[in-house]
Amino acid sequence: MLEIERLQVGYGEIRVLEGCSLHVDRGEIVALLGANGAGKTTLMRAISRLIDPIAGSISLEGEDITRASAAHVVDAGLAQVPEGRKLWPEMTVEDNLLLGAFARRARPQTAASLAEVYAIFPRVKERRRQIAGTLSGGEQQMVAIARGLMSQPSLLMLDEPSLGLAPIIVAEVFASIRKINASGTTVFLVEQNVAGALELASRGYVLETGRIVMEGSREQLLGSEIVRKAYLGL
Amino acid sequence: MQDTLATLISALLAAGLYATMSYGLALIYGVLKVINLANAGVLMLGAYVTWWMWDAFHVDPLLAPIVVLPLFFLFGIVLERVAVRRVIEQEPIVSLLLLFGVWLILQNIAYAIWTGDTRSIETPFIESTFKLGGIQLAWPRVYVFVAGALTLAVLQLFLTKTQFGRAIRAVSQDREAARLAGIDVERIYAVAFGIGIALSAFAGSLLSLLFPFGPDFGQALQLKSFCIVVLGGLDSFVGVAFGAILLSLAEAFGLRYMAASLQNLISFVLLVVVLIAFPKGIAGIIRSLRRV
Ligand SMILES: Nc1ncnc2c1ncn2[C@@H]1O[C@H](COP(=O)(O)OP(=O)(O)OP(=O)(O)O)[C@@H](O)[C@H]1O
Ligand SMILES: [Mg+2]
Repeated sequence: MLEIERLQVGYGEIRVLEGCSLHVDRGEIVALLGANGAGKTTLMRAISRLIDPIAGSISLEGEDITRASAAHVVDAGLAQVPEGRKLWPEMTVEDNLLLGAFARRARPQTAASLAEVYAIFPRVKERRRQIAGTLSGGEQQMVAIARGLMSQPSLLMLDEPSLGLAPIIVAEVFASIRKINASGTTVFLVEQNVAGALELASRGYVLETGRIVMEGSREQLLGSEIVRKAYLGL
Repeated sequence: MQDTLATLISALLAAGLYATMSYGLALIYGVLKVINLANAGVLMLGAYVTWWMWDAFHVDPLLAPIVVLPLFFLFGIVLERVAVRRVIEQEPIVSLLLLFGVWLILQNIAYAIWTGDTRSIETPFIESTFKLGGIQLAWPRVYVFVAGALTLAVLQLFLTKTQFGRAIRAVSQDREAARLAGIDVERIYAVAFGIGIALSAFAGSLLSLLFPFGPDFGQALQLKSFCIVVLGGLDSFVGVAFGAILLSLAEAFGLRYMAASLQNLISFVLLVVVLIAFPKGIAGIIRSLRRV
């Protein structure tokens, strides 16, 4: 579904990703783990075509999107829920969601998508007339995920959805991600909450200073020295 | 009493005009984060086009917006595509200088085509007045006020009820999130700039009904617009309308106690006071109240 080969990305002179390769298959939940500054968000931004790679390739469902526009990628079925939610803070929750269906692919089904995300997140429905910037962090994260779903993605990428949330809210968010995956959406998840992410994901990658240093199934990762020492503190 | 009422009505009517000439500035700043220093030039050109259509072709100035709005919308789009787009990501000073240069060019074009003579439009409507409870009012001032209020209503509807309008607000609030939703941010820049320029030209067209003008027209108004937009919080139209009312009230009542030549001082003082005391403007105050 998503195929990344030897991807190099940087900002000006600084190179952040030094040749990353990974793939996400249809129906999976795949986790990307890594410490602060490893380059996880940079990878997400390159895939969503917010920054241009220096070298390497990205393909989505067999189509090369390495140089595609951000809008094209959304129309091809990829949605990203960015780090820090990035809601439009002065708009109502519902306006945020309606704009999530801006892409051509999603526009005709806006009403159906809205009903669908309200079913997944009843709390978002309750808050639909509220100004997004006034929501709690957990509510904002749910709106951000709901907004991503409004574009009817076949692949949903989430960048640190648990960031800054209380454990009970994290559990709620992770449960909704599982539900979304169960209804047929492939999920690519960036997390620093390694224990939580590996409960969800069946496979994962570890990114350290711009390189994939490890990949494997949940069991392999949980059993590995790198993950146990550096991320689980065992 | 009668006096105070007359001052109030006059201030309110002026507010409609002030607001109209500031919406374009606010929209362009809100979306592109660029301060349109060419605003005065666009006001001036809008006035000239209106006058010229009346003078050369006997077109009623009230009909001029039918030509002025689409013409300047296109002009704005071209200006954004050709020039403004290249400087959006750079330091603010670059776009300031660029648009200041555009203003000078527009002024010189006006001198070249229409000379420096003062122009004014005279029609029966423009000279007509009526009495309301003993207060003498000019019809064109009422007309300009109504046009300003209608503009606000249409803008608000467009920005909140249409998907394209929402996309414009999305770009102004978070560009990157807008890109992630599949919004073509560059296209929004062009359209928003076009609308902003069209609004300013429309305001210029309205101004030509009230004042004589020349190629330098708009300089004093530019300062007022900045004051209003800072009062309003730079990216909120309702805030801009409130800012316009506040400024025109301050001017109207201030003038009862000081010389008319000091009128422009009022907007300047208000600007400085607001920048120091409420850097987020009226919209910022409303916003923080709403959060409680
Ligand atoms: N716009 C930018 N300009 C220059 N350098 C940047 C920019 N954005 C990120 N970087 C640098 O790129 C590196 C990787 O950043 P990135 O945000 O991708 O890390 P991350 O893995 O997402 O970290 P975190 O877990 O803290 O979110 C960091 O060293 C960061 O300083
Ligand atoms: Mg990050």
